[in-house]
This record gives sequence, structure tokens and C-alpha cells, in this order.
Amino acid sequence: MTVNLRRTPTVAERSADGPLDHLRTLIQALPVPTAPLTFPSREAALGLALMDLSFRLDHLPRLSEHLTLMDRGHMSRSISVDVDLAFISGRLRDTLMVPGEAAPGGGASLWVPVSRYSRRDLAPVVIRDSSGDVVPRLSHRDANRVTAAAFVMLLSMLINAHREVAAPTSPIHQLRHTHQRSRWLIEAAITELITVGSPVGQRLHTPLDHAVLPAPGARDGGRTGDSRSMRDLALSGLDVLFPAAGGDHLMVPFARLLQLATRQYMLVAQLGLDRPRRFLTWEAPLLPAQHRPAPLQTLAKNVLPLNREFVVEYETEIPRSVKAYHLTLEVRQEISVRRFLMSSNVDEEFVEVLAQDLESVARRAQRLGRHHKLLELEMQGIASRLAELGRRRLVDLASYEAYLARLPIPVGPESAPPPRRLTVDEVIAALSAGDCSLDVLSAFCAHYAADGLQHLARSGLAGPALLNIANGLRAAQVGRDVTTDNDPREHGAHAHWRRPSVDLSPQSTEPVRAVAYMALADEAPALIESITRMVSGLTLMVLGIGTLLSGGIAWLYSSEVSEGFAPEQADAVVAVLLLVPGLLLARLALPSTRSVLGQLHKFQRTLAAASVVVTTALAIAVGTVRSDVEMARLFQLALAVLIVILFCCLCEFYARRVHRSSSVPRSARVPRWLRDARRATRRTVEPDDFFDARDEV
Amino acid sequence: MTSPASSTKSSELARIAAEAAGTSSASVQFTLIHGPMNGHDGPLPLTVESADPDKEDPDAWPTDFCHFSVAGLSVSTSTWPSAISTFSGRVQIGPPEHTGRRDTYAYSGHAVPNPGFIHQSTRKVEVLITLGNQHWSPTYREALMQALVIEKLTGLAAERDAPVLHLHTPVAPFPQTHVSERGDGSNERLRDAIGPCLRFAIGVDPTMSDARLDFETELAALAEEYGIGLKLDDQRLNRARGEWFTIRGFDRERYRQARGKLFPEASVVIPRRAMIASVVGPSRAGTTAAAVAALRARGIGVLAASISSMRKTTFINLVLPVAAESSGKFPQWSGGWLEALPRLVDCAGHRPSLPDESGEGLIADWKVALSPAMRCSYPQSSQQTGATATGRVPYPIWLWWQLPYRTVGTPALLTEVQAALQPHTRRCEVAYAQSRLCRGDVVRGRAKLIVMLSQEHRDHAAVQRLLTDAAEAAQERIRERLPALGHVDAGRVRLRLSPRERWLMYAGASA
Repeated sequence: MTVNLRRTPTVAERSADGPLDHLRTLIQALPVPTAPLTFPSREAALGLALMDLSFRLDHLPRLSEHLTLMDRGHMSRSISVDVDLAFISGRLRDTLMVPGEAAPGGGASLWVPVSRYSRRDLAPVVIRDSSGDVVPRLSHRDANRVTAAAFVMLLSMLINAHREVAAPTSPIHQLRHTHQRSRWLIEAAITELITVGSPVGQRLHTPLDHAVLPAPGARDGGRTGDSRSMRDLALSGLDVLFPAAGGDHLMVPFARLLQLATRQYMLVAQLGLDRPRRFLTWEAPLLPAQHRPAPLQTLAKNVLPLNREFVVEYETEIPRSVKAYHLTLEVRQEISVRRFLMSSNVDEEFVEVLAQDLESVARRAQRLGRHHKLLELEMQGIASRLAELGRRRLVDLASYEAYLARLPIPVGPESAPPPRRLTVDEVIAALSAGDCSLDVLSAFCAHYAADGLQHLARSGLAGPALLNIANGLRAAQVGRDVTTDNDPREHGAHAHWRRPSVDLSPQSTEPVRAVAYMALADEAPALIESITRMVSGLTLMVLGIGTLLSGGIAWLYSSEVSEGFAPEQADAVVAVLLLVPGLLLARLALPSTRSVLGQLHKFQRTLAAASVVVTTALAIAVGTVRSDVEMARLFQLALAVLIVILFCCLCEFYARRVHRSSSVPRSARVPRWLRDARRATRRTVEPDDFFDARDEV
Repeated sequence: MTSPASSTKSSELARIAAEAAGTSSASVQFTLIHGPMNGHDGPLPLTVESADPDKEDPDAWPTDFCHFSVAGLSVSTSTWPSAISTFSGRVQIGPPEHTGRRDTYAYSGHAVPNPGFIHQSTRKVEVLITLGNQHWSPTYREALMQALVIEKLTGLAAERDAPVLHLHTPVAPFPQTHVSERGDGSNERLRDAIGPCLRFAIGVDPTMSDARLDFETELAALAEEYGIGLKLDDQRLNRARGEWFTIRGFDRERYRQARGKLFPEASVVIPRRAMIASVVGPSRAGTTAAAVAALRARGIGVLAASISSMRKTTFINLVLPVAAESSGKFPQWSGGWLEALPRLVDCAGHRPSLPDESGEGLIADWKVALSPAMRCSYPQSSQQTGATATGRVPYPIWLWWQLPYRTVGTPALLTEVQAALQPHTRRCEVAYAQSRLCRGDVVRGRAKLIVMLSQEHRDHAAVQRLLTDAAEAAQERIRERLPALGHVDAGRVRLRLSPRERWLMYAGASA
């Protein structure tokens, strides 16, 4: 038996990497139904309409997210959307109509999906409209039921339209007409998968994992009509319906639909048709940070005078049809937002298609060369797209430069070299070498517009050089745009992203991924300034007491110790050494360590504490030591330590200056072309907190 | 990580399914009308609707409409979503119904749409094939050659599972532009209304550029082999539809040789009678190639063709020449594809029927509607061939529109356009029109009209000015009339009428 098991891997042992493997696993594990699972056709139509709208969300012209950093590790999000029901076409509207009851306003109302979110987040979501009234929602249970009905309907539509449905021997025909229990089994598996949901990146845990089943044919000889034959028919039907290679390429779209349906919930609101344009807002579930343990880095940030910034990165998905997206951030008033930058991958698909075109043309240059004009057409198509990319990114760069110039402490262009001016030959040579920097692309754009790039098929560009360009484009991340902060406040930030007026991948409904980079810092009046004043005061105090005790400043540099350095009446000195730092320390408002401010101030707080420790230790020494020499040495030591602390404070100031004048954030999520344009060569660092609001992870 | 385009395709699948699963749209209902273009009973047999369509009835407004007329024959197709879900097979068609107009018959039917026919997310590659540089009057031999070319072209697409988005012949030829005449097109030479040209478009997945390049290369090789002219749509950014990039010019001598070698026995007379065959079934890649190959194997050529998909159902409308020696009446008929083949051989075939071919399995359960054999006529003059001594040349005018659904139907709009052009023209025909319901409840359409100006001019610039003026005046008139006609908000009407195809686009609207 064991041998058998080893020879034929069980379902559980199969990898869960295939697109439909969860469904296949459930087909193996579920009991075979003996009766059809019938859903009302109305529910199926509603489910399909909701699914369609929730993927595109093209009835949402505007989307806003308001982020609030609660503490280190948690971010709250408030989402508001503008809904325009006029974008929902008439036939879908009939399907989405809420039956029976009327909306609160008295008129008819629709079920309208407004968002999708991960099944992980189970916090209740309350949707309110502009007047503050709560908008009714479709329950998850109902949403799951109509989604399951939708998939069952979709499956039957695909079976009905399949070309083999009329061939009596084909599995499709059997599923449709003669062996319906197998179809019911697939339908039951789909329903189960959608109701229960499937975890990300794990395989399903089914009872089959706990049982040793006999090998096929070992017991009954493969009787027709037993559950194994039905499962086999169901599986082979799936194989025919969704061939892995060739055919209609239906498997990936279907599997992706099923995957999204099992991993996400739809947020469906009931909206009255009397007010077709609505403003809805809701609090999204609290977002936990994804901590990335980098102990050495964290330690370095906490023990070195780097004037640390607290870097937060936030990643989200915007439906591609959304015309405007606002991202606002609010932090405590004590914290300043030093940099705020958003980058989206809106043109990435376009760049990827362009790169693939480049590679294909490069591979076929020989064959295409026989049809010279065909190669020329391809090259011109490629050139026009490269030129458009150069133009777009140049606009982004200009807006980024303007942002740097309007910062409270402006960053000038001094670090960036003046733009190169390139001739056609230089541009082609640079591109052929794979240099897709913004200078080159902009020059290419200018030459293309000036008709300087005709007859490209005969230039050196056609051929293997195209592979370099493809690699260069991917490496430079030219498909990612940049949106900058335009909030005048220091403790808030706002980025306004607009869909480009000419969408370069117009048919795509792939969501746009946007990453926001935020550097939070303690700007003037900052804690480090108070601490520096305090440490200087303490240094002066120790210096003063020492000078008074020795009767001159010779103790500072001379090895000789004057008589009577150890005071007769030590109590007064001890009192001063204990009280003054205590009073100064009490004046500093030190935040709690959990907060972001606490993280920013961690090292500075250590400096303050260290200076107090020094004076306290000195006070203890004054109270106990009676030797002049020892006393003098201790005073010298205390002074030296305080000067070191003061030096650390000055380093903090210097580090702050460096941070302020940094032109490009050191983040891997800032597009490469931007870092290259400002010659930022330092390596990137991981953020302190990373929040991921993409719904599928 | 899924592939980048998978979300796009899956949401398209969801959209198709959602549309197909609407409360009353389990299948597609269609109506085909075959008839002569200019009968004695009226100018244009577009629909069989009653005089006053009931505005409350959703079925009174077809979601998709297509009209094609050539050589004196015309076919128009309308589709609606339908609630009927149970019928045998994937498509059924009713018997021909006489519409009361001479030789004009309507055929109604239902088809199961194929939700797996995903092409919205594909990149369109459009091709203009030139099969001659004289005016359009194909012989039997040329009809066979044309069938061969259609078969080869659609075969190339089918090899890559690329759906044929549309295919038309004859279409307006595109004159070679010279460098000095580039730019805004104001100096573009006037085009003929129709010529021995073929235009077709396929959808290719944008991530599969290998397949696209291979297709284009093989296309160029095919053009070289037969000497046919090849133009591809200009794939540069910001180029509009109607701009072409010439890959190969037409090689008259080589084409003549190839034609003579391939079809030495075919007659070189011009067919006097023709019939329309409409083949209908769920859309799938490779069906056109299968249908035309089966016809050609039986010695049947194709005089003209209009192939398009509406609501995931493909309509292959072919104008087939009736064999000169067959003198039968060949009445209208409808039925299955396999039964239709012997009939077609009887009236149009030259060779005995061959044994069944493998590709035909793809469309074995498709249905066919056949029109009665009708007399056909050909345009007598052409600007390109210098037959313009009188200046009576048919010129094309293109029309693009976008109107809210259920306001003005496409047939009504086309009638209105013809009426608006009436003062400037001596003749005005709709050669081709197609409209479909798009997202946002709007109907978008394109049409090509063939006009003969009432003023005769031989001067190039004068004719150009006359055409432009006529188009602009007509455009204004239609825009004024439409709000009254369909109770449509004037702000939502988009309509362009132009003698140049590439001037039709509105900013931000895709065709």
C-alpha cells in the first residue's frame, strides 16, 4: 500500500501552483452530489454583474484615501469615493435592481459594488454618504451566494458554447447531458471554494490529507458510476474546457476570476437611483505594518548620531478606470513630513509590451530585414512609443524639480549636472548601449518630433541593440510615474494622481499599483535643539563648578591638581549637580517609545539621559570622594563625556542637514530613472514601516 | 504572480458573462435581410421593423447592427439579446420570410454566444490588401483568386488563434501619398469609393508580439508570392484609423501570372448574377478560413465579403457569383451548413464536390441563409483609372457617430444622413455601416457612404472642396435634426462626416 502511495502522489501532495488546483483538490475531496444545486437565474445574473463592476469599478470617477499614522505599526485609512451611477449601463442596471422594497428615498435602488478587500480583514465596515447616513450593504453571506451562482452560470455558459458539446463521446457533452453528476460536482466544488475561501499561497487542507485511499482500480476495477469515475470525468471536463496550452487561453482568465472571488470580498452598497451621483465614505480595517526585521540596521539607527528619519512606505491599488486619486496623510503636529512622493506603475504594462516588441524584433531582425518596409514600420512604431515615454517622464521630472524647489528648505539643482545635449547619432549610440536614462529618452523624443529619426531600419538600432534597449527600459523603470506632495502644511501631505489623458494601454483593466514614500522627521523646533541646549548647560555647569573649586581654569589642561579641589561642603555641589539636570530634563517633553515620535527621538533621548547620568555620577562622586586628585580626574572625565555628548548633538545637526538636502529618497520603490536623473548613487534602504493595502495579500 | 494581462482578460470574461447573463439575454437573437440594393420599392432594406417601433419594448432597439451593400446586393444584420435559452445546437435559423419588397427576404434566428471569445483586450492589426489597380469589376477568375486570398489571410490568423475582427471587400483603395503631401491630409489624393481591395483586422494579444510579427512576416511573404499590394495600419502612437503604411505595392504582372497559373480554367467574364450567403454561428478563431476553404474547394469564388462579430456571434456574409452556365432560379433558402454546400455547388460551383474536409468540423453545426440569385451591377467609373472624363465619379464619405442607446436607431440615422446629403449629390448609397452598443449605454457606429456629386468637376481641388463642404453642411443639418428626431439631448450627440477617414476621431473616444 505504501508503495502504491509513493508511486501515485495523492492530491494533497500535488503542488498548489496550478491556476485551478484548489478547485481540483475540492473535486477530489467533496462528496459527489446526487441532485443539482440550483441557483435562481436572477442571482446568477446579479453575481456576474457585481463581479464585472467590482473588477472595473468604472463607475467610480474619483477615489480618495486619508491615512493616519496611529502609532508605529498601525495605520488607519478612511476611504471616500464618488459614485456615478450613470456609468452603469441600462442592462446591468436592470440586473442590479434591488427587488421588492424601495430605497429610503422612495425610489428604486441598485446594488453597487464600491470596493474589494481581502478576506483577512473582518472588521465591520460602515459606509456613510455625504449626509452622514449609513448606507445599507449586501451581507457577505449573500455576496458569496450570488458569486457562487455567477460561477455556476459562467461554467454552464462555457459548456453550452463549447464546440464539443454536440459530440456524444466528448467529456463536455457528457457533462452537459449524460453524466450530469460530474458537472454538479464541479459546481459544488466551486460553491464550496467561494463560501469557505482559500488562503493565499497555501494549499487547501482537506480530509484526503488524513486518509490512505486505495489506488485506482485496486478494489472495484474502475466501475462506471462510482465516485472515482465521476471525479475523473469532472477533472477531464475541466481539462477540455480550460486547456493548459493553445486553444482559447480561457484557463488563466477563469482561474484569476475564481482566485479573486475566493480571496476577496466585495463591498456592495445599496444606492437609490434618485441621486445618481453620490459621495460615500467608510473606515477601512486598520492596517498593520509588515515589520521587516533588520536588527543591525535598527541598532545602527538607534546608536549612531544619524538624526534618523522615520520612513513609511504605503502600497495600494487603484482601479484603472479611476480618473483621479487623492492620497492624504496626517501625522501628529510635532512630526514633520519631510518628503512625500507617490509613484504609480500606470505605464508599466505599456513598457513591458514595448520591451517584448523590442525583443521580438531583435530576434527576427534577419527575417524582417527581407521585408524592409515591415521592419521600418516596426521600428517607427517602437520609436514613437519610446519618444512618448521620454516626454512623459520629463514632465514628471519637471514636477519633481518644482517640488524640491518649493520645499520649506529648498533643494536646489546644484547636485544635478546640467542636461546633456545630444545629436541623433549620440542618441542612437547611447540607446544601443542600453542607456535609457531620461536625458537620452528626452533627446530621442526631440529628434523624433523633428523628423530626425526616419529610416530607422537602416540605422544601427535595428538588431541586437534592441535587446539592450529592452533591458535598459526595464532597469530604468520607465513605466512608473511620480506624483509629489502639494500640501502646504508640515504635518500633513497630499498627492493628487490623475489618470493620463491618453492611456497608453487603453484596453487594460489591470489595477494601477501606487506606492507612497513618506519620510517623517523632527524638524525645528526639534527636540535635538533643546537637548543640545541642555547638554551645553550641563557642560558649562560642570566647567563652572570645576573652575570655582580649583580657583582657575588650569585644571582643564594641567596635570597638576590644586589643593582643596574636593570641597569641604559637598552638599551644595551635589544638590546643584542633581537638581539642575533634573529640572532641565523635566522641561523636555519626551514621547512614549511606541509612537513614531518616540522612534525619532530614541537616540536623542539617550543623549539626554546620558548627560544626566554623567552629572548624577559626578554628584555621587562629589559626595563620596575625598581625594583632590581623584576629584579633579572625575571632573575632567565628566567634562570629556559631556563634550562627547555635545559632539554627538552637533553630528545630529549635520546629519539633519544632509537629510534635508537629499534630492531623491533612498528607497527601492522610487523609480530608478528618477534616482539616475539626480545622480543618486547611494544604495537604497528598507523603510521602517511598510503598509500593504493591496487587497490580495 | 499572474501574467500582467490576466486581470484584463478576466475582467473582460466577467463583462461578457455579465452581459450574456442579464435577466433577458441568455442567447442572441438575430435578423438577417437579403435583398437588392435599389429595388423599385424603396432605397434601402435595412430592417423589417414596423412603422412605429414601440419605445417601451427593449427588443425594438437592436444592440448591434451591420449593413453591407455591393454590386447591387445588400445584406443587413441586427442582433438583440434574447431570453430564449433552450434550443437544439448552438445556433438555429428560421425559414425565409418575404418582406413584401421584391427579392427581399428576412431570416431570424438565435445563437448561443461564446463567452470565451475574448478580444476586447487585444491589439488590433488592420491590413489593406490591394488586388488590382483598375476599377472594381471582378471576373469569375478574380472571385476565385479573392476567395483564395481570404482563405490564406484568415488561415494565417487562425494558425495563431487570432480572432478576425472584421473583413470587407471591396473597400476604398488608399492612394500612395508622397512625402510632400504628408501631414494634415489636406493634400491627400481623393480616394475611390470602392476598388479591388480587401481590408481586414485581427486581434492579437499585445503580450504576444512574436505571434504578431510572424503573422506580419508571413503576410508580407504571401503578398510577395502573389504580387498583391499590402498596407498595414500605421502603428505609431497618435496615428488615427485610416492611416496606412505601405509594405508592398501591387505588382500587376506577378498577380496576373499567379492568377492565371492557379485558376487557368476559370472564366474571365464578369458574373451577371450573384447571391448572398450568410453563415452564422458562435464566434471562434478559424471559422472564416474554414468556410471560405470549403467553398473554394468546390470551385466557388467570392465576389464580395463582409465578416463581423456581433455579441460573440460571427456573421460571414459572402456575395457569391452564380455560375454563368446555371440558368436556374435558385430560390431563397435557409438551413444547416452541410446541407447548404450541395446547393451552393449547384448554383455557383465549377468543380464536383470534394470529400469532407477537416476544417469544416469547426462550423458543421453553423447555419446558412441564402438569398435568391439576383442581378448584379458594377460601378462604371473610377477616379483612379482615369475614367473620369465626365467627372461623374463615386466618392466615399465616412461617418462616425455616438448616440445614446434607444434614441435614434442606426437605420433611421442613415436615412437621415442620406437626406442631409441629398442637396449636394445626385446619388448617395450606404456601402457599409456598423454600429454597436458600447459601455455607458451609447451606440457607436461607423459607415461609409458612396456619393456622386451633383456638380461635375474634373479639377482635383474643386472636387475636394465640394466634398468637404457637402460633408460639413450635412453634418450640421443632421446635428440640428437629431434632437427632434429621437428626443436626444443635443449635448450627447457626437457625429462626424468627412471625406477623409482619418479625420473622424473625437478626442478621447475610441472607435
